[in-house]
Amino acid sequence: MSAISVSARPLRKDVRAPRHAAAAWRHVDVFLLAITMSLAGMGLLLIYSATQHKEAVGGISAGGYLKRQALWMVIGVVVMVVTAVLDYRLLRDLSPVLYVGAVLVLVAVLSPLGTNSRGAQAWFQFGSFQVQPSEYAKLVFILCLASYCAAHRGDLDVRRLVTVLVVASVPVALIYRQPDLGTDLVFIAILMAVLLVAGARPRHITVLTLVGIVGVVAIFQLGVLKQYQIDRLGAFLDPKGDTQRTSYNLNQSVNAIAAGGLTGKGLLNGRVTNLSYVPEQQTDFIFTVVGEEFGLAGATTLLALFALLVWRTWRAAALARDLLGTLLCVGVLAMVVFQVFENVGMTMGIMPIIGIPLPFLSYGGSATIASFAGIGLVLNVHMRRFS
Amino acid sequence: MREPVSPDSSRLRLGVLGVVVLSLFAALLVRLWYLQVMASDQYQAVSTNSVRLVTTEAPRGRILDRNGVELVRNRISDVVTVDRSALPMRPDVKARVAFLLRIPIEELDRRLESKRNSVYKPVPVGRDVPKETLIYIREHASEFPGVAHTRLTEREYTQGELAAHVLGYTAEINSDELAARKRLRRGYKPGDSIGKTGVELSFENDLRGEPGIEELEVDAAGRVLRTLNSRPPVPGHDVKLTIDINVQRMVEASLAEGLTVAQASRDREFKKHFLAPGGAAVVLDPRDGSVLAMASNPTYNASIYVDGTVDQFKRLQDALLHSPLNDRATEGLYAPGSTFKLVTSIAALSKGLISPNTTVDDKGSIKIGNQVFRNAGSTPHGRVRLDQALTVSSDVFFYSLGEKFWTARGRYGESAIQSTARDLGLGEGIGRVPDPEIRKHLHDSNPKAFPNGGWFAGDNANLAIGQGEMAITPLQLANAYATFANGGTLWAPRLGTEIIDVNGNRVREVAPRAVRRIDLPPSLRNPILAGLMGAVKDPKGTAYGAFTGFPYDRMPLAGKTGTAEVANKQNSALFTVFGPASNPQFEVTVLLEEAGFGADAAAPVARRIMDGLIGEPLKPIGRTGGAD
Repeated sequence: MSAISVSARPLRKDVRAPRHAAAAWRHVDVFLLAITMSLAGMGLLLIYSATQHKEAVGGISAGGYLKRQALWMVIGVVVMVVTAVLDYRLLRDLSPVLYVGAVLVLVAVLSPLGTNSRGAQAWFQFGSFQVQPSEYAKLVFILCLASYCAAHRGDLDVRRLVTVLVVASVPVALIYRQPDLGTDLVFIAILMAVLLVAGARPRHITVLTLVGIVGVVAIFQLGVLKQYQIDRLGAFLDPKGDTQRTSYNLNQSVNAIAAGGLTGKGLLNGRVTNLSYVPEQQTDFIFTVVGEEFGLAGATTLLALFALLVWRTWRAAALARDLLGTLLCVGVLAMVVFQVFENVGMTMGIMPIIGIPLPFLSYGGSATIASFAGIGLVLNVHMRRFS
Repeated sequence: MREPVSPDSSRLRLGVLGVVVLSLFAALLVRLWYLQVMASDQYQAVSTNSVRLVTTEAPRGRILDRNGVELVRNRISDVVTVDRSALPMRPDVKARVAFLLRIPIEELDRRLESKRNSVYKPVPVGRDVPKETLIYIREHASEFPGVAHTRLTEREYTQGELAAHVLGYTAEINSDELAARKRLRRGYKPGDSIGKTGVELSFENDLRGEPGIEELEVDAAGRVLRTLNSRPPVPGHDVKLTIDINVQRMVEASLAEGLTVAQASRDREFKKHFLAPGGAAVVLDPRDGSVLAMASNPTYNASIYVDGTVDQFKRLQDALLHSPLNDRATEGLYAPGSTFKLVTSIAALSKGLISPNTTVDDKGSIKIGNQVFRNAGSTPHGRVRLDQALTVSSDVFFYSLGEKFWTARGRYGESAIQSTARDLGLGEGIGRVPDPEIRKHLHDSNPKAFPNGGWFAGDNANLAIGQGEMAITPLQLANAYATFANGGTLWAPRLGTEIIDVNGNRVREVAPRAVRRIDLPPSLRNPILAGLMGAVKDPKGTAYGAFTGFPYDRMPLAGKTGTAEVANKQNSALFTVFGPASNPQFEVTVLLEEAGFGADAAAPVARRIMDGLIGEPLKPIGRTGGAD
């Protein structure tokens, strides 16, 4: 009996033996890749639907939106491949440089070099293209945060915790100056998730959460926010209150989704969505297109795709060879989950309206490329789980 | 030093993270389920608010006379339109447009805000814009964003004031009309034009056509994205009338001349000239009730409703100008005076109250109860039969009939005369007159309007000669005589002959409609006819003077004068005549308000019209001496 069990061990070793670093690409998570590409494809379809009449009212043509988004996706795939191919431990070594670079760029965007659009000094303008550095800064932040926490093997005492908070607060403060509240919240979500998994003590997490709550209340009370920000945040609490102004977005968005019913109105047939009744319908409110045109069936499918993507990311975190890999995946997971929940929740009226793009679906170059880069990191960790 | 994070602790923490993530997704799914399944119905309506219907009125049908002469048609007008959605960006455009159209900017604002126009269509702000202006706008297009040139049709009245009351006019639909038409689902909307009076009203459903409908998809800002569906307007049908415009012209001229002559004559009773503010004339074909001509004076030009000024509008209803808009032929209510004696005669003979040979000794007056009733001028006519009484218009004879009817009311009923009048169509329809003060005086409601013995023999005597509690319209009077003339068929007055589509094909015929037949045996009809023929031909006849020299060989006539006495007003003159007496083709009724005796003022007008109808040369209207 025991002979059998003894003989079983070498067999396992034999299976493990041929696996080496050079063959990391063999362990690519094809499933995650497929999910990512499905989401991106769905995004193209929805952007076309949302913008099909834009030209008629003086915007870029639907084809124009489609082509540009496709271009971003091609670039995104390239960036994803690059991010996956470079060993994440190499990236870790580069993280201090990347951090300093990111901070400098975030400072630069606040200078006259940056461009103000829709009330935020958040873009660099290159010809007809815009680059939003805060989107890329999220990934740099994940890399730095994971590297620091992993380097201390998860032993986060108060001193190290404060270090982490200082590292985090610099980009958060710079982005707040733009102002871009939404991206800041993504940073905070990433921070909390990584700290949780990295081993921060429960009481530290509790204290940080309390500080966060007090901070939010303080921001409201002390007049730090501009009135429009307060209005927008407040609209979801009382959407019927002021239909014409701030809660207009919300009501139209909820109407569009509700109008979809079980099976939706069909592709390109969403009336509320397509006719600009829903503002920003190709970017932040893209989910309304799914809701109206594909109904419960489509919206559930989309959320299921995101859930699968998150599951693969979570699995990669669990399978990771080291803590660094785990934390990198957790960071990406937190980024995706928070953006999906906030964005979709906002369109359905259960979260305040904060401008956060829906990963892979919302129109926009920087956000799309950054999302692909995030998946690149996860693929990177996943395929090197044996090496 | 603490233990570094253990793999187990790491797994546990990942698990916590997983649970958080799962609950977030669960929250999204629950909310999605609520919105799209539980609450979906309450949102469904909202999603259709992006489609707008824009209707275009169809070109209205034309109105033709019986020979096909265009009386009302559509005219193409060069119109400048302004797209309201373009204005907010270029407020300076308004001033330039106002200047070019030579109107104050306030007027331009008024036109821009008119509810007549759909919010999704450019607003017509200038009509009949000269070519040079249109060219200027085209050549300076950059200074006139949203300003365009288009062509609209509008009503054109080719005959000016002729037949204005018959044709009627169109104007913007009001809320009452809209409510009434909504029930009929005719697709009217605020701002549409609708026939308000006359043929434009009575043939509205034929003339209007079907409005074109465009289903436009608009975005949140109201900008038109595309046309989903469109149905072009279907032009309205043409209506061919019974009116002969040449007869109409002759009749209107005769009426106007009669009024002018009356105004130049002195009223001995009131010691001043006759006011003669207005009148009406009707020419019917007794064979089928066709209206050959129908005039009301004073008249107006319906083009005021297309492009009239405010002053012109005010004048249409000005009482000092005798309210030109009122159609005296179909809406004016008058006491019929002696013309009503036809009714009393038919009642008396048909009920057997008298025979054609019954005579009454007319001493110039008659005492009924303790009241004395007199002939006009108290002239005695001696012993008269019915036919003679009609010829000379003996009031005493008919007073006595009124009294006899009342005395024998146990046998003939309380309203023998009234029911005969109703059979002849008198007072029919005017029960709908909204003014209760007027309605009270309609014969229809008497004697029931005077309960508790408030109706006396004297009232019945007055009724018998067409005075007192009695009101008819000139058209009704003409039709009652036409009914007698044709042997007893009461036709509904008929204005249209046929409806023709835009390609000239007949859609339908407007058939003559007999309302009822009344029995007029020769024993009844002949003595009355003899009396009426005497009234014009017999030297003792009341209208003899007016018809002196009339070619009776070509057209034997029968007629009756009437003078309506109204307290504190000058007498109104009536005359009604038909011919040929045995086989009538024409029935002419003339009424002149406050113009004197029927024989003096109305009969000469009717004579001139008869001359015109049979092609005699028209002579100037004189004033004949006569009575009644």
